[in-house]
Amino acid sequence: MVVRRACALSREPGVWLCLVPMAAPIRLTVPGTLRYRPIAVRVVAEAARLVSASVRADPKDQLVLDVRDPFDTAVVSAFMEIFNNIAIHAYQRREGGLIELSITPADRELVIELRDNGRPFDLDVVEPLPADLDDDSLPEGGMGIHIAKTMLDEMTYEPGPPNLWRLCKRLSTQPVATGAGRS
Amino acid sequence: MSNSFDVQRTNNETRLTLRGSLDINSAPVLSEEIDRIIAAKPPKVVVDLAPLDLIDSSGVAALVKLYKGIRNASAEITMVGARDQPLAIFKLLRMDKVFNL
Repeated sequence: MVVRRACALSREPGVWLCLVPMAAPIRLTVPGTLRYRPIAVRVVAEAARLVSASVRADPKDQLVLDVRDPFDTAVVSAFMEIFNNIAIHAYQRREGGLIELSITPADRELVIELRDNGRPFDLDVVEPLPADLDDDSLPEGGMGIHIAKTMLDEMTYEPGPPNLWRLCKRLSTQPVATGAGRS
Repeated sequence: MSNSFDVQRTNNETRLTLRGSLDINSAPVLSEEIDRIIAAKPPKVVVDLAPLDLIDSSGVAALVKLYKGIRNASAEITMVGARDQPLAIFKLLRMDKVFNL
């Protein structure tokens, strides 16, 4: 099913209303344990590719997990951290819980919603990274939410039940401030 | 997603090569190896990140543990070859400068 939405409306003569196809949400429910994380990551990576239209390093190998494009990098990096958070903090590494994913690729953005019925998370307990990093202040934890928030254009959390994480990443016309290329 | 690493030891250097994905599922196994590397008190450690495709905060934490352990022993540690998503994560966390990537 393809849903159509208006993306732009101009009053200037000769400019038409632009209708851009927005795909129906991809829905996936996985057990809320780290064992199922790679499956969810793979689905999200492919959804990101639908938006970024990134080219695989080896176009003949459609099965390899290929995350090099800055948009794909941002989406996958953020998603991995939020999945980790749910499995560890919401479900306390226990089996029995579910994570419901709704992934909506649009013309220039990707929206991912994750719902769980575990313990609510307190975003206020997340401490910012040290202002000046050196050998002594290098953090050994607490980086996940910072990574997700920084990689995304929007990230919201509503405690439940169900708890709802909503992640949004838009395609930028400007180069994304991530480290493409080899050091 | 492949998760693997290997360690090559010589008299002068220990070389840790990371491949595939270093994440919350694979980091605990690497962390055990990191404990062994630190305990061996090598004069120099080289971490080759070139074959590494993906990393998350758990993987970063494991590398920070290695970095601190080696530096605290007054030994030398060098990280080389970071690219794509792992390099983006190190830059976002501003660790690229500390690790000299």
